[in-house]
Amino acid sequence: MTPIFEAKGIQKAFPGVMALKGVTLSLLPGSVHALLGENGAGKSTLIKVITGVHQPTAGTLLLDGQQAQFHNPRDAIAKGIGVVHQERNLFPRFSVAENIFLEQIGSSYLTPVDYARLNREARRWLDALELDIDPATPVSELSVARMQLVEIAKALSLQSRVLLLDEPTASLTTSETDRLFQIVRRLRDDGTSLVFVSHKLEEVQEICDRVTVLRDGANACDSRSMEGVTRHDLVQMMIGRAEGEGAWRARDTSAQPEVLGLSGVSTELGHRDVSLSVRKGEIVGLYGLVGAGRTELAKSILGQSAVTGGEVRVDGKPVRIRSVFEAIHTHGLGYVSEDRKTEGLILQHSVLANAGVPIWRKLGGALGTLTDGKIRDAVLPYLRKLEVKTPSLAQTAANLSGGNQQKISVAKWLAAGVRLLIVDEPSVGIDIKTKAYLHELLRELADNGTSILLITSDLPEMIAVADRIVVMDGYRVTGELPNTGEYDSVSRAVMDRIHDMGEVG
Amino acid sequence: MQQISRLSRTDWFGPLLATVLAIAIIGSLSKNFLSPYNIQILLLAIAVNALIAFAQMIIIAIGQMNLSVGAIGGLAAISFAGMMEVWGLPALPAALLALVIGLLCGVLNGVLVRITGISAFVITLATLSIYKGINLGITEAQPFYGVPAAVKAFGAATILGPIPWLLAPTIAATVALWYMLRRLPVGRFILAVGSNDHAAGLSGISVGATVVIAHGISGFLAALAGILVVARLQIGQPSIGDDWLILSFAAPVIGGAVLAGGHVSVTATALGVVIVAIITQALVLFSIDPFLVQVVLGALILAAVGLNKLRARDTAKGSL
Repeated sequence: MTPIFEAKGIQKAFPGVMALKGVTLSLLPGSVHALLGENGAGKSTLIKVITGVHQPTAGTLLLDGQQAQFHNPRDAIAKGIGVVHQERNLFPRFSVAENIFLEQIGSSYLTPVDYARLNREARRWLDALELDIDPATPVSELSVARMQLVEIAKALSLQSRVLLLDEPTASLTTSETDRLFQIVRRLRDDGTSLVFVSHKLEEVQEICDRVTVLRDGANACDSRSMEGVTRHDLVQMMIGRAEGEGAWRARDTSAQPEVLGLSGVSTELGHRDVSLSVRKGEIVGLYGLVGAGRTELAKSILGQSAVTGGEVRVDGKPVRIRSVFEAIHTHGLGYVSEDRKTEGLILQHSVLANAGVPIWRKLGGALGTLTDGKIRDAVLPYLRKLEVKTPSLAQTAANLSGGNQQKISVAKWLAAGVRLLIVDEPSVGIDIKTKAYLHELLRELADNGTSILLITSDLPEMIAVADRIVVMDGYRVTGELPNTGEYDSVSRAVMDRIHDMGEVG
Repeated sequence: MQQISRLSRTDWFGPLLATVLAIAIIGSLSKNFLSPYNIQILLLAIAVNALIAFAQMIIIAIGQMNLSVGAIGGLAAISFAGMMEVWGLPALPAALLALVIGLLCGVLNGVLVRITGISAFVITLATLSIYKGINLGITEAQPFYGVPAAVKAFGAATILGPIPWLLAPTIAATVALWYMLRRLPVGRFILAVGSNDHAAGLSGISVGATVVIAHGISGFLAALAGILVVARLQIGQPSIGDDWLILSFAAPVIGGAVLAGGHVSVTATALGVVIVAIITQALVLFSIDPFLVQVVLGALILAAVGLNKLRARDTAKGSL
């Protein structure tokens, strides 16, 4: 069968990072194609290139074998490529019908909108989804799940030949998902080519007949049939084989006192019976697939969301951490965010200002006055130690590379004198060389007595750095194992624990 | 009970209630308030102020601000008067050219916002200064007195009873805006862009064109307001527009506009204009210090913003 759509050698560079490094994708008519990969693998970027939101830096798109160029989303829509993006793209105050048909209205500025006709036609697509909503209802009055279904109705209304669904089931219940799958199958039987992005591998195996896996901006496998592909194969491709794992070395911290301990902790975010402990100078890895609740656990420990049960101990004493302020200043817990661009750094501010934020209070003089000199004295040793490459301390953080930005995020906590650092996906968007350096840095910190709780979806990274690995899924801890630094045995053991939960959950 | 709560969720119900109450209270305290002469003065103020408010409202709709509304209005006003006095142009072509000038000033704002990516607040702060500077350069801060008799007559004429002719262009603009924001794709695009420009772009709407169009409409409405002021004052004052800024924000905000964009109401904004006009007029009638008008206007904006916030919370709750 000839592909209806192909992407060949697609590259996409963003300032400081290569998001796609020559990806290929080939879609057949009448098929449901799974596009898989962990966070940061490049799925969403690829979707945005295919739908005209981004222009590829290199590579070609072929539609029916003809080269195609999409300068904006309109071009892609006109060529029959529809998409339900991961983020909500509805207008809350507009009616359901208007939201569904905004694309079609988009072609003229002055032809009056015929709402009666819109409502009538919207009915058809809502019926297809068995959605009992009055098309004239403002979207703001719907539940989140229903909004998601309206987005799907909107994509259906385009009657696209290629329909991309980026995590369409994220907020749907099981029965809503089943309903969606019936429609997906019907569209497939009518010859539509569907692309399905999901982190739920059960769903992928249920609905998809072809698959492409991305890892680190490149193909972990080319577009192929799902036949004979097991869940194990998919996980393996998504998280990848070990690369440059050699740096791991055994570190014994069993004699050290516990710095942070959780026993049977549950949280308002849905964690149940979570227990783990981190010793002084120990690196504990927290592994799990996206959605396992790791970042959420970190934020609960730091007091951003409430702990509703169980016990949190710092230095062996039970504590209640009510705010991030308390976590930093009273207990010495720091958090390096996975989203350094929006949560970790103030990009428009200078390197100096960023590195100094957590200690402003401590440095403030009698009237709370700060001088640059004082801040410089406090943070410079750490910036030097981490070898932050910046032309000057006055440089704005936005102009530095991803790796250097990450170093500043770490340096600011070191300057603040935290004793336990929660590091969340430290190497997302960072090249391999900096990554190795970052790993060495984490080990060095631990050697000097800082405890580290490392959250990462990158299994090779986990095995290269952690002393001990705690596996999480579905907001629970599903197992714990010592890291021997041997990729094959440890990755198998970790995957077994993910499989267990897969079959249970 | 349920009907009342549904009414209270509309944007116009609160302002309408306030308008009726204000008329009833002030009317009972002062016999002059409802005299034909006073009503005519009220309507003249409303005719101009509604256009000023709409000029800002359309920019609020796309989630931006236009600080240059007054400067554009002033520039259009002195252009209108100047072209008639210096070039001897008849009133109609002069008015049309002045409207084109306003439109172009607005389009320039929009284009600058779009291509520089700098916030409209900063861009229009700069163009405010530029437009005002051109105004003063042309007039050398002296008014144009040579306004033709026809224009003066139009400014003073009434259609029926106390209803002035000056209200006619305003009513036309109100209806057109109402229809545009309700029914025309361009109006829906403006609200969509204000609500979520990212999503609007993904839906195939040209965000850039929409922003430029909104600014163009704003400039056009500001110019129209400037022309009406010339007709009313019967001279082309260089200072026209200097005091429009607070007014331009007050009425849309009283009318429940969401300053973050995506939601404005023409009807409620018009009622907001009426409320401001009535209160201003009342302060004059009771011979209260005119400086207090500014204070009251500021307090009114604060109260309206607070109420909007409460209402937004209520609607959010209602949707659960």
